[in-house]
Amino acid sequence: MKKIKQISFLLLVTLMLPLLSFAQEDDQVLKARTGKFALTNAKIFTVTNGIIENGTIVINNGIIEAVGANITVPNDAEVIDVKGKEIYPGMIDGGTTLGLAEIGSISESNDFRETGQLTPQMQALTAVNPNSVAIPVTRVSGVTTVWTMPQGGTFPGTAASINLFGYTPDQMFAGSKGIIMNYPSMNSGRRWRRLSDDEMKKRQEKALKQVNDTWDKAELYAKLESAEDLRNYPEIEALVPVVKGDSPIFIEVNSAKDILSAIEWVKGRGYAKVIFTGVAEGWRVAEEIAAAGIPVITGPVQAIPTRQSDNYDAAYANPGVMSKAGVKVALRTMESENVRNLPYHAGFAASFGMGREEALKAITINAAEILGVGDQLGSIEVGKKANIFVATGDPFETATKITDLFIDGYKVPMTSRHIRLYDEFLNRTPSVDKNKKAIDIKK
Amino acid sequence: MKLFRKLSLQLVLLLSFSVITMQSQAQSDPSGDSPVTTTFALKNATVVTQPGNEIAGATIVIKNGLIQSVGKNVQIPADAEEIDASEMYIYAAFIDGMSNAGAKRPENPERPRDLFTPDPPNEYAGITPEKSVIDQLEISSNDFDGMRKAGFGLSHVVPYGRMLPGSGALVLMGSGEHIDEIVLEKDKALFAQWVGAPGAYPGNILGIMAKWRNLYRNAENRKEHVEMYAQNPSGLQRPEKDRVSEAFFPVISQQKPVMFNVDGMLDVRRAMRLQNDLGFPLIVAGVEEAWDLVEDFKNSGTPVFLSLDLPDEPKEIKEDDKTAEVEALEKRRMEFYKKHVEQYGMLANAGINFGFSTAGTRTNNILGNVRKLIENGLSEDQALAALTTNPANILGLSNRLGTLDNGKVANLIVSTDPIFNKDANIKMMFVDGKKFEYEVKAKSTNKDAQPAAEGGDILVGSWTYNLNTPGDPQSGKMVIKMENGSYSGYLTSSDGSPDNTMNNINFRNGELTFDFSIDAGGQSVLIVVEGLITGKTYEAEARVDAFNVSLELTATKDEK
Amino acid sequence: MKNIILIFTLMVFASVSTVAQTPKGDVLFKGGDVITITNGTLESTDVLVRDGKIARIGKNLKAPRGVEEIDISGKFLMPGIIDAHSHIAGSAINEGTSQVTSEVSMEDVVDPLDVSIYRALAGGVTSIHLMHGSANVIGGQNETMKLRYGTTNPDDLRFEGAPRTIKFALGENPTRGGRSRGIQPQSRMGVENMLRTSFQQALEYKKKWDAYKADKSPRKVAPEYDLRMQTLVDIMAGEVLVHCHSYRADEIYMLMKVFSDFNIPKLTFQHANEAYKVAPELAAFGASASVFADWWAYKLEVYYSTAYNAAILTENGVLTSINSDSGELIRHLFHEAAKTQKYGDLSDDEALALVTLNPAKQLGIDNRVGSIEEGKDADIAIFEGHPLSIYAIPVMTFVDGVKYFDKANDGDDQRLYVSPTSTIEEINIFDRETQHRCMEDAFVMDFNQLFSNQN
Repeated sequence: MKKIKQISFLLLVTLMLPLLSFAQEDDQVLKARTGKFALTNAKIFTVTNGIIENGTIVINNGIIEAVGANITVPNDAEVIDVKGKEIYPGMIDGGTTLGLAEIGSISESNDFRETGQLTPQMQALTAVNPNSVAIPVTRVSGVTTVWTMPQGGTFPGTAASINLFGYTPDQMFAGSKGIIMNYPSMNSGRRWRRLSDDEMKKRQEKALKQVNDTWDKAELYAKLESAEDLRNYPEIEALVPVVKGDSPIFIEVNSAKDILSAIEWVKGRGYAKVIFTGVAEGWRVAEEIAAAGIPVITGPVQAIPTRQSDNYDAAYANPGVMSKAGVKVALRTMESENVRNLPYHAGFAASFGMGREEALKAITINAAEILGVGDQLGSIEVGKKANIFVATGDPFETATKITDLFIDGYKVPMTSRHIRLYDEFLNRTPSVDKNKKAIDIKK
Repeated sequence: MKLFRKLSLQLVLLLSFSVITMQSQAQSDPSGDSPVTTTFALKNATVVTQPGNEIAGATIVIKNGLIQSVGKNVQIPADAEEIDASEMYIYAAFIDGMSNAGAKRPENPERPRDLFTPDPPNEYAGITPEKSVIDQLEISSNDFDGMRKAGFGLSHVVPYGRMLPGSGALVLMGSGEHIDEIVLEKDKALFAQWVGAPGAYPGNILGIMAKWRNLYRNAENRKEHVEMYAQNPSGLQRPEKDRVSEAFFPVISQQKPVMFNVDGMLDVRRAMRLQNDLGFPLIVAGVEEAWDLVEDFKNSGTPVFLSLDLPDEPKEIKEDDKTAEVEALEKRRMEFYKKHVEQYGMLANAGINFGFSTAGTRTNNILGNVRKLIENGLSEDQALAALTTNPANILGLSNRLGTLDNGKVANLIVSTDPIFNKDANIKMMFVDGKKFEYEVKAKSTNKDAQPAAEGGDILVGSWTYNLNTPGDPQSGKMVIKMENGSYSGYLTSSDGSPDNTMNNINFRNGELTFDFSIDAGGQSVLIVVEGLITGKTYEAEARVDAFNVSLELTATKDEK
Repeated sequence: MKNIILIFTLMVFASVSTVAQTPKGDVLFKGGDVITITNGTLESTDVLVRDGKIARIGKNLKAPRGVEEIDISGKFLMPGIIDAHSHIAGSAINEGTSQVTSEVSMEDVVDPLDVSIYRALAGGVTSIHLMHGSANVIGGQNETMKLRYGTTNPDDLRFEGAPRTIKFALGENPTRGGRSRGIQPQSRMGVENMLRTSFQQALEYKKKWDAYKADKSPRKVAPEYDLRMQTLVDIMAGEVLVHCHSYRADEIYMLMKVFSDFNIPKLTFQHANEAYKVAPELAAFGASASVFADWWAYKLEVYYSTAYNAAILTENGVLTSINSDSGELIRHLFHEAAKTQKYGDLSDDEALALVTLNPAKQLGIDNRVGSIEEGKDADIAIFEGHPLSIYAIPVMTFVDGVKYFDKANDGDDQRLYVSPTSTIEEINIFDRETQHRCMEDAFVMDFNQLFSNQN
């Protein structure tokens, strides 16, 4: 029985392969272009330096060369007049599986979960499929960079920031990586028997001991690193940059009690770069997170509150509560195919207490800084990478259209399979054949 | 095989019958168990003949299993054993609306090899209304003794099973050689539950509701057909014999009620909804959430047995957890705890003459729980009525049971104090005129009396188990506790799966059996574990009937 | 407010036939921008509600004596949102053991205690279509409900007078069930065959009963009664509206052909991610579609989706709604509707009709709800900010003129029943992956899954 299942899966995959590879093709091939561009007459939301009315941006060689109200447009630049439109830095999603997952229910098309508790050396970047159909679907909505994450186990692997354009993972790589650690949870969760506080504490302590043993090993490994015949231990070696403070660790932690415990843990270990992710109940302990000075990537915002007794808008309000308490907040969707909804998650956060300006920062400069690419991305500044988009208005609003998109200085065509299907089927040819009615209701 | 089983059953019946006759004929009584006389006179007691009617210094005469006389100046027959009951309080023995007392859970029906899940055999679907609990009863069961100790002289015992396991019977909590001796009335009510078949139709309440309607409508039609045929078969298609349909006939003619085992508020409403659709006489039993149902009970006149299984009282929260939020949640929890314990008084005051059902309640908690209800607004008279006259009324027994009146069945409680007093101890029980005596030595005796207490220490504690599931063996801890004389426990899983509560833990002569359920996509799948403990190891078989799978489960006791 | 509702629930236990005495309100909304759906947006207009119905729409209306006046100037008033596909407020979702279960009905398992009801109200939703699951080719009957939260009586939530509806399902879900049990159907061929066979059997069933009813003999014997077949007979009589879980264009087309052959005129496709591919056929048949705004790629049969589905269908003249199928999405269906302005440039009225009037039509309740018109039920949502704006916040929700949600008085802990024994509340970290998959086939067949902690 099982065998039959496997065989049929194989068959399914083989059958799908040609479909998958043809999916991107169309009769009209649209290619991205690079060069020197000047976007003129725009309202520019720099994020870091306020709003420039009627400004110009010059892009050259992948870089923002000039930004301002009184910029001389170079002669050799392709001028794109975007009068009446607004320009924003590309949006950055602080947590996705984009590129690692193609079709949810087909496990053969999902590559974000490796087996084992301790697999920090697993590289998400390796498994990013640059030809995933979801990538163009996402970027035409103005999301230009995402943090793509492995999942499962205590140390699922190494996440990477990727730009949503490129033909190889290296072309897409946005320049930062980070170890993910799922903090042992004290959460009772869905259980048959509710655990008492003490029981949960014991469980967590046990799990934490394992985590600490692992980090102790990493610290020892770091000390012995220069020794010549030190054994090859990729799992532990992957943690060494965290120990040395070179690399950040992204700790996934959600319930209030776990967050408090994780804050203590972080203090105890003393690693230099720590980020909390998830943080679904951050609003319960926002002051404590702020006091610990740990930045946060939270989301999804459009989510059901964690507890039955919670107010209906607890998840909507969570980012705002934390940012008001002084926590540096970035947002994430935790999506793969619908990362395109990032601006709407930000919009809900904005409406429920965060405010529009902070929400915009949360998906641009804050996200860039927390992900370690703040020097290159997240705002419109001279010298930064040209990851920008042009919109007909506020990108948080669903009525707004994205008209132009630049990633790494490439002007990326505004197309995706969703758009092509729209073009093909809005007025389908042939339509219904009126003479040959296959479907008819005899009244 | 089946035939053989039937045969052996008949043999046993035959044998036991001959034992009785032999005794009554020529055998002596070498055990010395039989009483000299079955006529008793309980003298000079405080007798509560029925709720609100107390006679001080009264005497009760019991003869031939009946109450011969009650009162201050009664004649004591010459053959009576006289018992000084001064300072004693005598009540009619309690009547329980629903329990499994004395019934042995039958093995789950085997999953047929080629089970067609949309239409499984009735046995597998749990549709056996033609059956009777009598076939599950065991005269040797300890349950009867447990129930007696809690003051019960009679229980409406219902069968184990799924949606329609069969009929319940009124069983005296007495003793005898054969179960027939203590059955007062069989086929009292058709027993029903919202329990679906594992992995087959009907799988849950959706299918059960529909199945009920189908079964009932067809039974109605068939009844008409059968009656027509009985009157004049000529020219009429012969009605097929259909035991399931026939089991509904007395229900359809309103002679037999359906007893629904329903604990939650919504489950009760659903039983009433079905009743409203189909029109059968309904009794709801095992009800735990009734505070929002007062008007519904009143308007429909549905008889109710409220569960005696009470939630534990919330404990004081730890100081360091006392955030405003936790306090607010605890306040709500307390509010609902209060709803649970206060609903009994509330319903009684609203004129709902409910009885109690003990199913799911540990017998040694029963009196304590009743006292808790009295602390929470139920009057003593209302409590006594719920334990005696109300259930007698609901079950149609008022002419025989429920009060201490001349001519009624001699089911009595003899208590050292007013029965709802904290210090009250049951000194004697009379069931069907038979005397059962108890040593009154407060709590310690109580514990010794628990058969499970001996050797219990072997079981209690933490075990490490391995369950040999295909492909991916499971392991974890099996933690067993002993509380109030009965076991409780749970299984953890090392892969982080939810814990599973161990149910029906039974430990006797080294044999440990229990079961637990796993949530499979909203559907509960039962796993039954049976095996032997030798030293510190447990070797058992875990059966998952729903999937026709049997697995090996081994466990070793953890060192302290 | 809870107390008021409780008082009203102290009523005769209602049967299916008796109309539940649910509370009806009187209120005057002053000075809001009224989005009527059927008659454009009326600026600064008053709406008077009497006895649960919209009595008058106009300017300068005066509150009759005793009628509460609510100033909503600067706010938007729109018809309460209707979710044509929901699984909240049900104690069970799927009788997944059989491939045809037309005899079962969600009306038997309504759970009025589900706090998701309150959360949906907080998103401006006033009515839902509680649907059976999709493991069966012919599933169970659904229940159309009004979100009168606060009662413990399921009968109080029923949308009294709403037509009966039933769930069908095509494609991966029912064939997966067949495969796991080794029975039909295991392919889309088998699905079609099962549909045709079922209807054929129902016709035979009807014939038997018709003959029995016509028989004048006093000694006639009734044929076997079968609620399953009877429901199918009712479907063919047009008494039960079919809502069919479906994704691919070919299966959508197939069902229209089957319905055409059995003369069943009304049909709504649920999810229908590829309905856009056969939009002209849907329009020609008169079938409607209830779709997601943008869900796709969670399984193979939704891989070739487009978020422009709703717009393509609308432009092709197909009656279309947007639904949630999720306890999360249901809280912002106004926002889901707004996405059709990004994907296909629908007008404000077209977009909002997707979550109001259109689902009302699909459920056969548009004579009662779905637009702001005199004589209709006062099922109303009040928004701060235009409901199609991302910054819109629902602030009040009324059913039958009774307020069930008010953001200004949104108390903590809206649970109706609380466990008396739990010390610690369950914490569930939201996982979108479980959202739209959990209800698809709430049935585990693989033994190994029992012990696995994943999915």
